[in-house]
Amino acid sequence: MISFIVDFFSYSFTVNALIASLLISIAAGMVGAYIVARRLVFLSGGITHASFGGVGIAFYLGVNPILGAAVFAVLSAFGVELLTGRLKVREDSSIGILWSLGMAVGIFFVFLTPGYAPNLMSFMFGSILTISESDIWMIFGLTVVMAIFFIIFYRAILYLSFDPSFARTQGVPVELFSYILMGFMALTIVLSIRLVGIILLLSLLTIPPSIVNTFTKRFSSIILWSMLVAFTGCLGGLVVSYTLNVPSGATIILILIIMFIFAKVYRYISVFLKQSKA
Amino acid sequence: MAKILDVVSASAGYNGELILRDVNFEVSDNDFIGVIGPNGGGKTTFLKLILGEIKPSTGAVNYFPNGNRQTLFGYLPQVTTIDKSFPISVLDVVLSGLQGQKGLSGWHKSADITTAKKIMERAGIAHFANNPIGQLSGGQLQRTFLCRALISNPRLLILDEPNTFVDNKFEKELYALLQELNREMAIIMVSHDLGTITTHVKTIACINRHLHYHPSNRITSEQLASYDCPIQIIAHGPVPHTILHEHHD
Ligand SMILES: Nc1ncnc2c1ncn2[C@@H]1O[C@H](COP(=O)(O)OP(=O)(O)OP(=O)(O)O)[C@@H](O)[C@H]1O
Ligand SMILES: [Mg+2]
Repeated sequence: MISFIVDFFSYSFTVNALIASLLISIAAGMVGAYIVARRLVFLSGGITHASFGGVGIAFYLGVNPILGAAVFAVLSAFGVELLTGRLKVREDSSIGILWSLGMAVGIFFVFLTPGYAPNLMSFMFGSILTISESDIWMIFGLTVVMAIFFIIFYRAILYLSFDPSFARTQGVPVELFSYILMGFMALTIVLSIRLVGIILLLSLLTIPPSIVNTFTKRFSSIILWSMLVAFTGCLGGLVVSYTLNVPSGATIILILIIMFIFAKVYRYISVFLKQSKA
Repeated sequence: MAKILDVVSASAGYNGELILRDVNFEVSDNDFIGVIGPNGGGKTTFLKLILGEIKPSTGAVNYFPNGNRQTLFGYLPQVTTIDKSFPISVLDVVLSGLQGQKGLSGWHKSADITTAKKIMERAGIAHFANNPIGQLSGGQLQRTFLCRALISNPRLLILDEPNTFVDNKFEKELYALLQELNREMAIIMVSHDLGTITTHVKTIACINRHLHYHPSNRITSEQLASYDCPIQIIAHGPVPHTILHEHHD
């Protein structure tokens, strides 16, 4: 056991992976609680997958794929806004269109670029080993900025999510804040791609708040506990994937799902016991 | 009595289509104005215009004394399309009515919670304070939104059909409460219940694309007709069938 722990930490990439997991869990707790409460999960899925378009173009041009993903994530977020607001396309249809447009662009350019197929897998399914120090600094910066924003404007965020038109009468700049939060959402998604990959990312954001929501209906508790749940999932996933030599992203998600099932079963049983006592 | 706001030859609507035309209107402290009119006549649109939620396409809405409207209003929307499974407590919903005064980055003090609890006591929802809003009935939710409108002790209280969902007993309590509040604040209330309007308000505004101001709480169906305000008269008690109050000169 001791030798396993020593082994596990003796590689700088696992230390990087742990730091990255911790930071991403903190960011995912905030973004996840927000998107689940405001029912923006499908939109987040659209943004995540559309960002693949940016990855493809970046491969083709030979620039940093995360940069490409970030540009596409932000563009697709605003694209949905544009299609829905100005062109009166229904929102779920807009998301569906941009979701597949991004994927199509990505596939198109990846196939124009010879020799990148293996690397592609790490974007689709995550590859914790590819997390570099500069990635960690970016995640750190985002997490700190977002945490400050959430602490200062917690009440405004809560109220605008609950009832935007009333929040507006209270002087909350609902549109501006929604855009800022959408930007945070897009960046968190992009910076989490290395950890769990495009295809699995949505669960990292949605499972922790869903687990916590089983036990509390307080927005602030959901944010804080989601961070812990997400980090537990990441930590467990990293250890298991390291030991069994399986992909980290899928392992993290599976562990989160198991926690989710346990939470629901626990809840079900405790409610059942309470009822049978009464 | 000090003027709170005025609307000067304003027109407003949605997506370029004008709903309200050439509206002139003003509210002063301690006014109690009942707003009536047919469905789709533009009552809610009018309230949104006053609240600054929609901008007039011509004309203007001015706020006094200094043009600042953020801390002026308490507002009860007609329908609040909220998500009942949203993770927020009844107390937090009520507290959200203070955000305009607290400012964007404001947090609550324990005094605010005491104020909230007092109002909730009065509305009969105090024991739900820490429950998630998903556990409330329609009427309890309406009371919660009423508390949210009242907590800031606003200068102008705007109520869009406050009697929807609530039972008769609370409706009576509500009107008694409004009478009391009216000593400290102006009130604008939309209602389809003309009987209620005439017994509780001081003056009446009829809205059907245009606004006709009636500086009394007594109104006859002939007057309503002349205001182009075809509304069904629901009379209570010993009020004549078609005429709500005889117009005494
Ligand atoms: N958000 C909107 N976008 C476009 N048109 C709208 C919008 N809201 C209201 N309208 C239109 O404006 C008109 C006036 O609506 P409003 O809600 O002001 O009526 P109202 O007098 O409050 O009616 P009710 O008694 O049914 O509450 C209606 O014809 C309605 O179709
Ligand atoms: Mg209305």
